Amino acid sequence: MSSVCNSEGVTKVAVEVNSLVKQYDGLKAVDGISFSVIEDEVFAFLGPNGAGKTTTVEILECLRPLTKRTARVCGFDVSKEKEVKEIKKHIGVLPQDFNALDKLTVKENIELIADMYEKHLNVNDIIKLLNLEEKANAKFENLSGGLKQRVGIAAALVSDPKLVFLDEPTTGLDPKARRDVWDVLANLKKLGKTVFLTTHYMEEAQVLADRIAIIDKGKIAAIGSCQELIEKHGGLKVLVIRRADKSVADKLQEKFEHVTINSNGDINVKIDSTDEFYRIMHTLTEMKVEPDIEIQTPTIEDVFLKITGSKISEEGEAK
Amino acid sequence: MRFIAIFKAVTKNWLRSRVGLFFSVMFPVMLLVIFGSIFGGNNYIPTITAAFIMTNGVIGLTSTNTEFKRRGIIKRLSITPLTKTDWIVGCVLSQTLLNLILAGIMIGLGWGVFGVRVIPDPLTILMIFLGSVMFAGIGMALSGLIKDVEAASAMGNAISFPMMFLSGVFVPLTIMPSYMQLISRVLPLTYFADGLKAAIITKSTNAIFLNMAVVAALAVVFIIVGVRLTQWKEK
Repeated sequence: MSSVCNSEGVTKVAVEVNSLVKQYDGLKAVDGISFSVIEDEVFAFLGPNGAGKTTTVEILECLRPLTKRTARVCGFDVSKEKEVKEIKKHIGVLPQDFNALDKLTVKENIELIADMYEKHLNVNDIIKLLNLEEKANAKFENLSGGLKQRVGIAAALVSDPKLVFLDEPTTGLDPKARRDVWDVLANLKKLGKTVFLTTHYMEEAQVLADRIAIIDKGKIAAIGSCQELIEKHGGLKVLVIRRADKSVADKLQEKFEHVTINSNGDINVKIDSTDEFYRIMHTLTEMKVEPDIEIQTPTIEDVFLKITGSKISEEGEAK
Repeated sequence: MRFIAIFKAVTKNWLRSRVGLFFSVMFPVMLLVIFGSIFGGNNYIPTITAAFIMTNGVIGLTSTNTEFKRRGIIKRLSITPLTKTDWIVGCVLSQTLLNLILAGIMIGLGWGVFGVRVIPDPLTILMIFLGSVMFAGIGMALSGLIKDVEAASAMGNAISFPMMFLSGVFVPLTIMPSYMQLISRVLPLTYFADGLKAAIITKSTNAIFLNMAVVAALAVVFIIVGVRLTQWKEK
């Protein structure tokens, strides 16, 4: 297994991708991306539909051939048939739009996946881990979307893999079911799994991932922890002053840059230093205004908008 | 022994499906009762059994597999260490069991309703196995070629029904015009139906081995085509 040095010493690399290209006829679905996933981290690919997330993940799962350059998973080359066998033993996968055999029960479906591996965990233990005991004998076709995803996660874990791929684990779920799945996923890190997640939900990446790669049009636009991305690309904090008089707005516009007034009358001031914040507050005190204020920190949405020039809709489309 | 797990799972999944059970078992039983009551059971026990072993592969397996493919079930399995061969062996064994159950029910009906006392022997079982492989091969090939679930089952029907009528299943070949008899000679079901009839009714050794040889050869050809056309990796 290859290793890189970081400030904490030697770290193992679970996934190593080097200038990877995947071309379909005229279209470059993946356009020369490079990145590594470090062991024990939760790594997220964040991007809209068609950005190349699933294509990349499916190349790493040895489900699709790559067009150019290299990708290694758990130290093995995805392009070499002999090494593919090794990779398959070491990974667990929740594919996009997971489905199982409709007429089989939860337990039977998990057993089926378990039986594909030489070594696997006890199926009952996995069912317990995912809180599926009550539904163990329910047919897959009768489960809700959230429960089906949990069966998918159970199937991904039953071979006790070191590396787990989760492709859009909460797409199409209602907010309650989404949070339930998040709780399950937050546990994976405690179990010592390395997790590679793809999502188009900003919040999901922010809540679950140690590091995020923003992927757009087949390229990685930025990579880092949520904190790092926000600090580097998020832009300035915004001081919002609610229900203020026109005179306050005029005064602030006279003294400071970046002052805008919202359609609902709120004043937004971008602040680039603590000093500037104090000067604004001082001005307000001088005017004997007791303002209703709020400071808005940039979010991963702002980072995404700044880097790619677009937002992602609930359905995952770039707009 | 991954194919055993596949065999168990797809068989259970099928046995619990009412629609599947109707078309694979209830429908042939109905036809046997109707045709047998009009014309006598002797011919129809083997020919209707053969015809539905054919549809189980060409329509049934084709639509099940395209549905599995559409829903990502084959993709999910192909991520595991399961090989394409194990998958296909599991599916073919499941088809064989289903077809043996069908033959058992049809023969039982022959005893009970038409007084045709047939005792299935190893040659009958071998014949059913070879027929299952042959038609499963065609089903595998069709589901490999066609992505759309409805198109796949339409294609299965378009192949099955003419074949059923042109292979002497319902109407004896001898009363058909000579050009139709000629067409029947290139249809796999003709040999399979004749072979099954020989194995369970007439017991003519020549007819058994001649037809079995043709079915075995076709089974090898179709299963190879089926394996080739089954996609185990995405593009």
